Amino acid sequence: MSARYPVITGLGLMTANGACVNAVWEAMRRGETGLKPLSLFQSPRYGQIPAGEIQQDLIGLGAPAQGSRSDQLGWLAAREAATAAQLDFSGGSERAGVVLGCSVGGSYNSEHFLTRLIKQGQMRPRPTRFHECASVVELIAREFGLHGPGFAVTTACSSSALAIAAAAELIMAGEADVMLAGGADSLSRMTWGGFHALLLVDAAGCRPFDLARAGTSLGEGAGVLVLESEDHARRRGASILARLTGWGASCDAHHTTAPHPEGAGAVAAMKSALRRAGLAPAAISYINAHGTGTRDNDLAEAKALQSVFENRVPPFSSTKQFFGHTLGASGAIEAVICVEALRRGEIPPNAGFHTPDPAIGLQPVTLFQAAELHHVMSNSFGFGGNNGVLIFSRAETRPLTRRPESALIAITGMGVIGPGELTSRDIQPPLPPGNVLVHSCGPLAESALLTSNQRRRLGRLVQMAVLAARKSHPPEPAQRTGVAIGTGLGCLEDAGAFLENLIGKDEREPMPSRFPNSVHNAAAAQTAIDQGARAMNSAPTMSEISFESALWLGVRQLAVDEADCMLVGAMDELNKYPLAIGRRWGLWNSQTRPGEGGMVASLRRANSEGPALAHLGTVRLGRIRQPFDAMHEAEWIAGAVDLDSLAVVVSGAGGWPALDDQYAAVVGALAARAGRPLEHHTYKQRCGEFHSASAFGFSVAVALALQRQCGVLLYTLSPRGARAVCTLRP
Amino acid sequence: MNVPPEELKVKIIQTLNLEEVTPEHIANDAPLFGAGGLELDSIDALELVVMLENSYGVVITDMEKGRPAFKSVNTLTAFVNANRPA
Repeated sequence: MSARYPVITGLGLMTANGACVNAVWEAMRRGETGLKPLSLFQSPRYGQIPAGEIQQDLIGLGAPAQGSRSDQLGWLAAREAATAAQLDFSGGSERAGVVLGCSVGGSYNSEHFLTRLIKQGQMRPRPTRFHECASVVELIAREFGLHGPGFAVTTACSSSALAIAAAAELIMAGEADVMLAGGADSLSRMTWGGFHALLLVDAAGCRPFDLARAGTSLGEGAGVLVLESEDHARRRGASILARLTGWGASCDAHHTTAPHPEGAGAVAAMKSALRRAGLAPAAISYINAHGTGTRDNDLAEAKALQSVFENRVPPFSSTKQFFGHTLGASGAIEAVICVEALRRGEIPPNAGFHTPDPAIGLQPVTLFQAAELHHVMSNSFGFGGNNGVLIFSRAETRPLTRRPESALIAITGMGVIGPGELTSRDIQPPLPPGNVLVHSCGPLAESALLTSNQRRRLGRLVQMAVLAARKSHPPEPAQRTGVAIGTGLGCLEDAGAFLENLIGKDEREPMPSRFPNSVHNAAAAQTAIDQGARAMNSAPTMSEISFESALWLGVRQLAVDEADCMLVGAMDELNKYPLAIGRRWGLWNSQTRPGEGGMVASLRRANSEGPALAHLGTVRLGRIRQPFDAMHEAEWIAGAVDLDSLAVVVSGAGGWPALDDQYAAVVGALAARAGRPLEHHTYKQRCGEFHSASAFGFSVAVALALQRQCGVLLYTLSPRGARAVCTLRP
Repeated sequence: MNVPPEELKVKIIQTLNLEEVTPEHIANDAPLFGAGGLELDSIDALELVVMLENSYGVVITDMEKGRPAFKSVNTLTAFVNANRPA
């Protein structure tokens, strides 16, 4: 049976210009801007500059108190979308999941912790509980009862476009019937200070594509779409709002912040989305442009539009002046706007545009207007050159189908960044008194192999990823190579140094070079630049299963033939903050020792040339049910993998003590189902506890499959409920 | 008193953490950006913007207008000396 492209059955929005889809639409119809002077936090230098800040009380709107500001925004948009789609997951569903784009995460809340630490010397880490970008995914999955696949995508400003594409792939692959897909990001001192440090903010409010444009306006918000398989939607009688017919991703592999001057990556992503939708460029009747209002982005995007559409560029507008550039949420908010445009037959204008720029040579739509729309495109381009393009089509469009893909995937190389043992006294700068035994990778001896520009610019985590990718024997040329490198906590060193400096010096003397390397996708983007890898570039995060999320994305790109090689892995770095916060919370002890490192593997379709270290079987992501039941868990695993082929289980036991009994019980239950004993191996005694540790575990599993010539299961649990399995065979 | 170009060269090396570069390596009229000189990029320029403000009180808020100043050590020196607060 062939797979049908997903349909859209619900929408939700939270923006500075309206707290639901209708309110945003009516505000755009009236031509109102949502930009106002910032009030969310003190900004000594830039406080009067307009921002897309949501001034309603989020808890008053119904958001749960237990979450970061980004989490609350995402939850509110998800509630609107799920309600509109009349979804009911009471009792929980294994066939429903959530993938959201998120770049800021809980930074706004964590900054309260840092401010108190820096200004008052107080160590009160409570606000950091929701720091991770995955936190919003966990909140929504828990509150809505979604036990299917879930992770966050953190590719800066293209995060949620790539999240929606990933959700579509999960449905096409038959791994979910329904996905909540979108993105959420709040304003934060970090991004506010960072964009100002890069001189990318227009003090007058953004003016996309205008001759006088001088930067973007930052905003916050969330957008969520309910993506559903058509069969599922029809069975439950849901009304279909539109179809997602095209999605494409690419990487400029050009520069940390600047787009490729000719928009080469943007062109590739648009063409890829058109190809997937089976459409000629002339079929597109409206484009919601990325249009940030920065000089470079708008010029590069205009060139890319002219390259794809030649002299027939369809009506286009950037809607960012209405609610600001919401970074990780922007792709989702603009996707919702595209679906509304299709449904209503109306085009929202490019507010802020007055004077054409001869260098751009294109004029956006300036008046709210009716139009007959059939297929519309939404562009999102991020720092690191990570590009994502989506195409939506009217509900009555003939459904597209695709033959089910199945490709055997070979692991052709691995670069492991492994640990030695150090104590926290060896970590610079030194920590307050008290000692924790840690598994650190130590000084990166191989960083001598990097260029001097890479050494002076790239943080530890990014250097580790670039070096690991080089060791994985990636192919040349790398035109059809993609990258999916996950991380749990991201570039803590760069993010921490940037924020300490920003807060400590009240926004004087910012550190512009630290900011772009603080994003979660810095490792994936710099790996792409190092390799010249121009296919999809993604950076998922999901606590302990961040690696498996990257693995799923990489395998899928190969299966659908969007890449010939995927560099897949995950990486985390040790830093004083998790060390100190973990110690305050009593997490570190003689069993649970913090660690760092990770792995990057080269994956190819098995029929391609080159010897394989091992082959991949299944990769499956999900969320455990509470209360934990080992028999139920074993049943889920047995449904995903071929138990008869397995002799060894490699698990994440030996890290968090609370999970050890669960791992042991599940391995026991699996052996009982298989009717024979299964060997149980662990790896955290060697590498320590860190979010990307299962990437290290994967290298152990590959080694065991090779050495024993048997099937190996890698099984990973997170203390917050995420779970993943993948299987390997010789 | 005018800022000499040699002082700016030292500041550039310190600010950008340029390994293996000494002031003698930098010709006064060699391009700072692009091929044929230090091969700095736009983010280096932003670090230099912060340095100029901290060290000399010269504020640049728009890179479009600031760009000509960053052509070489000579142009940067002239820009700093012309724009320093009295």
